[in-house]
Amino acid sequence: MRILLIEDEDRLRTTLAKALREEGYAVDVAAAGDDGLHKAEQNDYNVVLLDVMLPGRDGWTVLRELRKTKATPVLMLTALDAASDRVRGLDGGADDYLGKPFDLDELLARVRALIRRAAGTARPDIELGDVRVDTRARSVTRAGVPVVLTAREYSILEYLALHRREVVTRTELFEHLFDENDDSLSNLLDVHVFNIRKKLGHDLIVTRRGLGYCIER
Amino acid sequence: MVIRSIRWRLQLWLGFLLVGVLAGFGLMVHQLQGVTQRGQLEEDLERRVAALNLAVRGGAGPSPGGLRSMGGPAGEEAREGRRMPGPVVRGDGDRPRPMGPPPDGTGMSRSGPPKARIPEGAFEEAMAGGPPGGHAAVWSREGVLLRRTEAGPPDLPIPSRPGRSTQMHFRDRDGLLECYQFTELGDCVLAGRSLQPLKRAQRRLGWNLAGVGAAVLALGLGGGWWLSTRALRPVEEIRAAAERISGGALSERIATTEPDSEVGRLAGVLNATFDRLEAAFVRQRRFTDDAAHELRTPLAVLLVEAQSALSRDRSPEEYRETLHATLATAQQMRRLTDSLLQLARLDEGDGLASTLPVDVGEVAGALAEALRPLAVGKGLQLEVHTVAARVYGDAERLGQVVTNLVANAIQYTPSGGIVKVRTAASEDGCLLVVQDSGIGIAAEDLPHVFDRFFRADRARRRAEGHSGLGLAICRAIVEAHQGRISVESAPGVGSKFTVRLPAAKAA
Repeated sequence: MRILLIEDEDRLRTTLAKALREEGYAVDVAAAGDDGLHKAEQNDYNVVLLDVMLPGRDGWTVLRELRKTKATPVLMLTALDAASDRVRGLDGGADDYLGKPFDLDELLARVRALIRRAAGTARPDIELGDVRVDTRARSVTRAGVPVVLTAREYSILEYLALHRREVVTRTELFEHLFDENDDSLSNLLDVHVFNIRKKLGHDLIVTRRGLGYCIER
Repeated sequence: MVIRSIRWRLQLWLGFLLVGVLAGFGLMVHQLQGVTQRGQLEEDLERRVAALNLAVRGGAGPSPGGLRSMGGPAGEEAREGRRMPGPVVRGDGDRPRPMGPPPDGTGMSRSGPPKARIPEGAFEEAMAGGPPGGHAAVWSREGVLLRRTEAGPPDLPIPSRPGRSTQMHFRDRDGLLECYQFTELGDCVLAGRSLQPLKRAQRRLGWNLAGVGAAVLALGLGGGWWLSTRALRPVEEIRAAAERISGGALSERIATTEPDSEVGRLAGVLNATFDRLEAAFVRQRRFTDDAAHELRTPLAVLLVEAQSALSRDRSPEEYRETLHATLATAQQMRRLTDSLLQLARLDEGDGLASTLPVDVGEVAGALAEALRPLAVGKGLQLEVHTVAARVYGDAERLGQVVTNLVANAIQYTPSGGIVKVRTAASEDGCLLVVQDSGIGIAAEDLPHVFDRFFRADRARRRAEGHSGLGLAICRAIVEAHQGRISVESAPGVGSKFTVRLPAAKAA
């Protein structure tokens, strides 16, 4: 899952990006409204975290501009949390709204909820046969037995699970799971998929040669 | 409640005024009418008495000169009226007046040889003049009733003769008005009328006047109500608009259709006030928004840092890094809260610890020198020219102004530049100038540099540890000293901050 974080406060941006990466998200960052809007328009992010008070273009403007081209889920982050501001944010096309200072766990939960909703399911658990993906705990069990996956492996599995019965191209996977600073070669994907198959069974992820991957269950 | 309403008070006053005017007018008309009516009545009676007198004397043969001598106390008109019958009567007097048998009359038959002769028909003829009705009587000089009319009151006492007056006199008794006159010989003639018709007419007039008065009062009050409603409608509109504004619709204004009317001017003044209020409110709102943002952002950093660090096991190096980050954030918050607190105190007017004589030149010189290492470290030239300039104030706060301005100048001036600090004293005050050859300030930002949390290049400023309150605090301190701070700047050329402080007054 790839997230864009638009926040002008250096320390908050750095810390938040780090925390999100530790959760297995690919995170792009922008310190100003113009830069953030540009990135949000160029890439398909799963979630955009948008600060309201930004130098240059403020959060409202970025949101308005972005909504002209994309329906990317946007979570507004702001110190202005009066009811009128929340209403303005939500009416302006934001999908969620979180006032600063926020709880990191709450932010992560809201990001997960936004990703689930965008994938068309509100349930936090995804069952793929005997494999069960718990998006809250970011854990996977197979026939009730916990299986340990790396953050990358989990991200790939979760993305495919959220798009089950769809063919997900390598490019799409690459775009959503690696951020702009990742140098990973695309064949690393094969390694991760190989490892997932080893842990969860060979028939879980099907390779459509020339097209991509698919979970058919 | 009702009495407090201007409209009702206007109505009340209008009512009082109308009632007063109408009552006065009505009473006057009533009174005048009464006087006129009575005057007419008296005139009638006088005319009749004169005729009777003539009739009586026609019998006794007095000269008509007596008639002329009748100068009654009545008015000019009455006298005129009294003279009027003179010639007429005289004309009558030329007629033969045979001494006929006296007409029927109890008095006549009672007295043997009547001293006063009333010619036949003369009494009736005298009575025929003027409006019909009324009564009359004739007494002889001995006080014997010679004749009287059938009509009139049953008891008809002979009036007493005041001295030897031959003038006409009036008496009021039992609702009757009687006019009498004694002839030179002492005979008495009297004519009277009831005052009842007069009183009835007066009563009727009174009712009519009251009716008309009530109608005028009602009309007046109705008109007054309409007028006051019309006059007060703009006031009511202003009230409604002001209510909406005080209810939170700060951008609402009073609509004025007649800006030059009294109420229109009031609305104009109120609108101007609302403009300023709204501007102040917007400013205040922006300030609290900014303050909230500036305080909550580092709080968010603290929370995220700590929660992220605790979410899994970390190496000591990572923990140390987290602690450094949280420490730096906490210090940033402390600086910010200190600045906000200082601003709040200056706003409340108790930001100055003391007001003692301060030599601004000395303070500026010392503090600028203290910053010299910073300037030198950045490769800048620092020129300090100070002269003694005494003001009354808080030395520490004034020092803060110097430090802020000089540190700003050093920060925004690239290597190789120059920063000049200069003070000057004049009769009306002292001058502190901090000039640099730095990057300058864009013209559109210039009016806002002293605003709180002014956000020109905010990201960069915050990265450099600036809260955006430094210049705002400078202005607040200078203004607390009744001074002025101003800035001139050109991008790429440099900025010049000038502080003017009023001179120390002899305490």
